[in-house]
Amino acid sequence: MPEELTTALPELNPVIHGKLRLALLSLLSSVEEAEFTWLRAKTGSTDGNLGAQLLKLEEAGYVAMEKKFVLRKPQTTYAITASGREALTDYVQALKQLLGAAIGA
Amino acid sequence: MTDMTERQELQDRLSLIEQMMAEGRQTTSSWGWVFVLWGIAYYISIAWSALGHSAVAWPVTMIAASIITAVASSRSRSGQPGTTAGRAMSAIWIGVGVSMFILLLSAGIKGRMDAQTFIAVVAAMLGSANAASGILLKWRAQFLCALVWWATAVVSCFGSEAQSQIAGMTALFLCQIVFGVYMMVLEARERKGQAGKTSGAHA
Repeated sequence: MPEELTTALPELNPVIHGKLRLALLSLLSSVEEAEFTWLRAKTGSTDGNLGAQLLKLEEAGYVAMEKKFVLRKPQTTYAITASGREALTDYVQALKQLLGAAIGA
Repeated sequence: MTDMTERQELQDRLSLIEQMMAEGRQTTSSWGWVFVLWGIAYYISIAWSALGHSAVAWPVTMIAASIITAVASSRSRSGQPGTTAGRAMSAIWIGVGVSMFILLLSAGIKGRMDAQTFIAVVAAMLGSANAASGILLKWRAQFLCALVWWATAVVSCFGSEAQSQIAGMTALFLCQIVFGVYMMVLEARERKGQAGKTSGAHA
């Protein structure tokens, strides 16, 4: 492959590239906010793994967490941030570009 | 071979994004029962009014149906994420419901509305709500209900009192009871399909 072609290809954001983190960000991009339990049910993940991946997304500034009490029960909700949405859009663009390059190769 | 594997992996990532976005948009909330409940509530009000208690029948039945709807829907939605489409639907039905309640209650108390005007107003308002929902959901069946309600409103204005009542009862049966049951059947099928899909691990 020519050198200029290799350098022109975009790199995939490692924070989003993990399968569970990608699934979470995609789910959150289609709703206004979602509870931890709903995300767990949709992804089929364990509490520990889900919490760890959500924390990574939160640390990157891609999701925002809110803890509140509803009818005296603690509720943790997550919502995608503007930078999270932008990162997901960029990731999809990069994926498409890489797939296009792979077809062309 | 490696290129093929990498390409497949990239394709899997893209499919995962599409699948998750589609699942996020899907709702497991059920609304068919609300149509059936309100259809029954209208029939109870009509029957109760026919016995000569119209001043009490309508407000009592409508308030009871509103309370049941609010309590049961808040329970069924708990844990479900909020979506823009869901909020738009709630806005339409809450707006139309409150408007109907205030207008019809006030007009009923002051005796400013005869039976035909009452049916025409209810039919026109339900027509608007069904049309807005049908357009938002791109659902022809619900838009058809809107057409039935609008036709009822026209019949109530131009026809006799008997024709107006027959049109109202027919629209109520088709657009509340039949449509509600149809919606419940579709929701049950959708839930079955989703249960099958989510049983597989996503990540």
